Order: sequence, then structure tokens, then C-alpha cells
Amino acid sequence: MEKIRTVIIDDEAPARDIIRHYLKDLDYIDVITECGDGFSGLKTISLMKPDLVFLDIQMPRLTGIEMLEVVTEKPEVIFTTAYDQFAIRAFELNAVDYLLKPFPKRRFLDAVKKAADKIQSGAGNTEPASQILAKKPDQSPPVNRIVVRKGNAINLIPVENVKYVEAQDDYVMIYHTEGKALKQQTMKFYEDNLSKTDFVRVHRSYIVRVSEIKRIEPYGKDNHVAILKSGDKLPVSRTGFGYLKEELNF
Amino acid sequence: MKHPVLANSSRLIIWWLVWLFITLGQLLLYYYSYGSFSNASIPDGILSLIIYSGIGLSLWYPFRYFNSTSSRTTAIIANLVFSGAISVTLWVLITKYLVQLILPKVNDYQAYWEATFPYRVGTGVFIYGLIVLAYYLFISLYRLSEKNAKEARLESLVKETELKMLRSQINPHFLFNSLNSVSSLTITDPDKAREMVIKLSEFMRYSLSKKDEQPVSLRSELENLRLYLEIEKVRFGDRLTTEEIIDEKCLETKIPIMLLQPLYENAVKHGVYESTDSVSIKTKIACGNGYVEIVISNDYDLAPSSAKGTGTGLLNVSRRLDLFYGNRASIKATKQNGIYSVSLFIPAEAFN
Repeated sequence: MEKIRTVIIDDEAPARDIIRHYLKDLDYIDVITECGDGFSGLKTISLMKPDLVFLDIQMPRLTGIEMLEVVTEKPEVIFTTAYDQFAIRAFELNAVDYLLKPFPKRRFLDAVKKAADKIQSGAGNTEPASQILAKKPDQSPPVNRIVVRKGNAINLIPVENVKYVEAQDDYVMIYHTEGKALKQQTMKFYEDNLSKTDFVRVHRSYIVRVSEIKRIEPYGKDNHVAILKSGDKLPVSRTGFGYLKEELNF
Repeated sequence: MKHPVLANSSRLIIWWLVWLFITLGQLLLYYYSYGSFSNASIPDGILSLIIYSGIGLSLWYPFRYFNSTSSRTTAIIANLVFSGAISVTLWVLITKYLVQLILPKVNDYQAYWEATFPYRVGTGVFIYGLIVLAYYLFISLYRLSEKNAKEARLESLVKETELKMLRSQINPHFLFNSLNSVSSLTITDPDKAREMVIKLSEFMRYSLSKKDEQPVSLRSELENLRLYLEIEKVRFGDRLTTEEIIDEKCLETKIPIMLLQPLYENAVKHGVYESTDSVSIKTKIACGNGYVEIVISNDYDLAPSSAKGTGTGLLNVSRRLDLFYGNRASIKATKQNGIYSVSLFIPAEAFN
């Protein structure tokens, strides 16, 4: 049986030590390396293509969640963190398990077993790990930056630079002050996680920063069109117009 | 509500003095109306003094009763008129009856009484009015002071609750991450694990046990903060260093317990959490002119952070400064050249 190639990503040395120690007795696990921040974690995953990753969330430069969002070939992931509020997001990213620090060895070994079964059955990382959690509201704090990948470069776009977000099938296009960027994410995510006072979903396919709107003109019988400071024109649906009315008090 | 006169011996003395005064006035009035003194004038005066004073004292009880039961003005006025009529009638008749009983031989008393009768009724009504006014004044003053005391109690309660709330903000993630480090150290370095558990215990004891809002010396507050930073150093290793420039003579200043904790937590959260480079947390304490200046600064990564700070920590500290020192303390945060710095000015002698 081929060994499971494993990477540990955590910014605290003692936290990495204990994972390594717990894994020591499992002969089917091969810990190929350790990383201390999100960026080097991302580089390592792209380069070494491990089967399994232990991933902390709160880390310098990129959080574990942000890192996983931009990884193209996702390994199986077991999150290890002291924060419980990111669990929903983690399972949306198809995490195998979510361990809350400090975790008991038994609980840890169960998680590794689950991951090993998944890897060896060749199921691949496709099905959502938890449908039960999907219905719960996202508890994670509002996002302050959006991490996107352009070729091999990783860009951090501060949310205050975002002008609007456009839906494109399974992706969203983020228009910001320095251009645009494609990201694999749902409109729902941005509707939930962008500040409700700064952004309004004006259309099924558009979420726009309110302060970017220059004027709103009627369009056709029932619809409107928002003209942005940049000159871009975005369709406004009837519901979207209602939200705008509410937000801008007209 | 206690009886306003009987509850207090000095008030009782004043009460009798007022009555003595009234009786003297009454005697003069009767003298003018009758044309001369009667032999019964003095006993009549003394008796009327005793009787009306007794009636006056007992009037308190029906008054208090009207005031607490009926709210309609018409009902209160009807009650007052009714009890006034009874009081005056009783006073005039009982006085006459008693004087005649004690001094049956004074033969001009009947004439004296008849001549002074209208004045008796007049003064009776007048005095009744004075008593009513005095009692009403007392009741309203009493209610006012009661209301003030209640508001003061409520205010101190709100303040106390708020202070408690502002204090209990130790980050749970700090605790869980530290415990995870302990869990790891038990395997790799048991001695260090024990040391860490002891440090954690000391830190928790300091922050949890002194629940009452006692001011502590800056020295013991600093010792606790060093403990906190040492625990964080176990987690972050070389990524966290500390520097201190401290004027020893400032350290006896008393400050509210755990006042500075949120500022150091912020320094760790926004400095160390977000940076792969080593972050230095600097503490500078100086004093003079009756003030202590505390400056806490840290390096931070210039890239946008993953989660925006909510400002809770800084707001908490500023709110506590407000509650403890009023406008005599100040706090200011600045960001410059990759260094975030918070300065506090605190009066040195506020708790002595």
C-alpha cells in the first residue's frame, strides 16, 4: 500500500509537534513537510501535491480557509483550530473533519482514519462532507479581503477596493479598483459576507457597492439600470430596486 | 413612611415651639376680641395648645392614607375638607368642655368663649391649613429624596455591571491555543509543559479571582502582562519578542485591574497573528506632572488582514478609563511606518 503523503500547516510550533507525534505510530502516513503560514502552505501544496493536509485557520498572510479556496488540486483536509466559527465554511470546502484544539488522540485518529479511507477508496474530493451543516447560517466573521489566484500569483484584494461582483456560472468575477479577478465561489457567499450597509444585491447576477453608483435610470417597462462612476452599466431587477430604495431611502 | 414629627426628637421640640408661638398669638387675638383677659384665658390657651397639637399629630395618618390610596384630586380635596371640619369642631368643643370641667368657678368663661368663637373657628381653619401644607411638603420632599436615592442606586448598579462586563473579555482562543501547546509540550518537553501550566494558572488566578473592582498597582498589572506574553512566546517562539523601557518610580500608581490586557491582546492579534516576521511588542512607561504615560506599540504587516478588527478592545479600555477617571485620562491610537501604537495618559494619584 502506498503511503499517504501528508503536510502539516500551522503557525505554532507546539501545535505542529503534537500532530507529528500523533502520526508517528501510523506507518501508512508519511509526513513530507511542515509549513508555518498560509502562503508557504499554498506553495507547498501546489508543488508537492500531498494527499492529506492538516490545516490551521488563523495564520499569517493567508488563513487556512483563504488558502484552501485558491488551491486548484485540493488534497483531503483536516482542519485543526481553536475557532469554532469557521466550521460551516470548512465543510463547504469539503473538509474531511474539523478538530477543535486541544483535541484528544482518539478523536484525531478517527479523523485520520476517515481521511485515509477516503483517499484509499479513491473517492476523490467531490462530495460535500456535511449536508447537515449546509442549512445553518454562516457564523464566520465578515471578510476583510478576497484572495484570488492569477496564474501563479496570489492577490489579496481589500474589500474596500471591491466595486461590484458579477456571477459567472460556478465562478464570480470581482471588479475592483485595479482590474478584475475570477474566483470559484457563490454569489450567496458574497451576499452573506460583504457588509450589508456597503453592498446591495441589485440583480440575480450582481452585487454592487452602493457608493459606486452614480445614478439609476429606468430601463424598459419594469426594470432599471445602475450607472456606476466607472461608466459600467448594471441591470437592476425589481427586487434589487426595492433593496436599493430601502438602502438609499428614496 | 414614618411620622415626620414623632420620628425625630428635635422635630418634636420645633413642633412644640411653633405651637407655643401660635398659642401666644391666639391669646392676644382673644384679648382684643373679648376686650380683656378672662381668668380662664391662660388655662384655655394651654389646653387648646395641647388638644390641637394632639389632633395635628394624629392628622398625619389619614393624610398618608389619602395620599397613597386616592389619586383623584376631587377625592383628596373632599377628604381634606371633611377631616378639617371634624378637627376644628372637635378642637373648639373639647377645649370648651375641658376648661369648664377643670375651672367650673370661672363665671365669665361662657362669655369669653362666645366672644372669641368666630376667631377660634378662623384660627382653627388657618392652623389646619398650615398642618396640611407642612405634611404635603414633607411627603413630596420624602418622595423626591427616595427617587434620587433610587436613581443613584440604579446608576451605581449599571456602572458596576458595565465594568464587570468590560473586564471579562479574555479571549477564549488564547486559552484554547495555550492549552493545545500544553498538550503538545507534555510529550515533547514535560518540564516546559509544567511551567506553562503554572504560568497559565497564575495568569488566570490574577484575572479571575480579583473579581471586585479593586485598583491594583501598575507593578502587579505589568507582572501579569509579562506572564501573558511569556505564554504567547511559547506558542509563537521567535515570532514574538518584547521590549520594556520602564521608569521604576511610576510603578506604584494604582490602575483598574486588567486595564491594559486588551491592548496587549490586540498587539498579539494584529501584530503576531498576521506576520511571519518577528514582531516586537514594546512597553514604555514614564511619569511626571501627576500623570503616567503608558505606550504600547507593535510592528504589523502592511498587507490587508484577513479579518478586520472590530475595535472592541480599544473601545473597552477607553470606556473603562471614562468610568474610572472621567475626563482626566485619555487614550490615543496611531499607525505609522508599520508600527501601531497606543498611548494612555492616566492621573497618578487617582486612587490614593
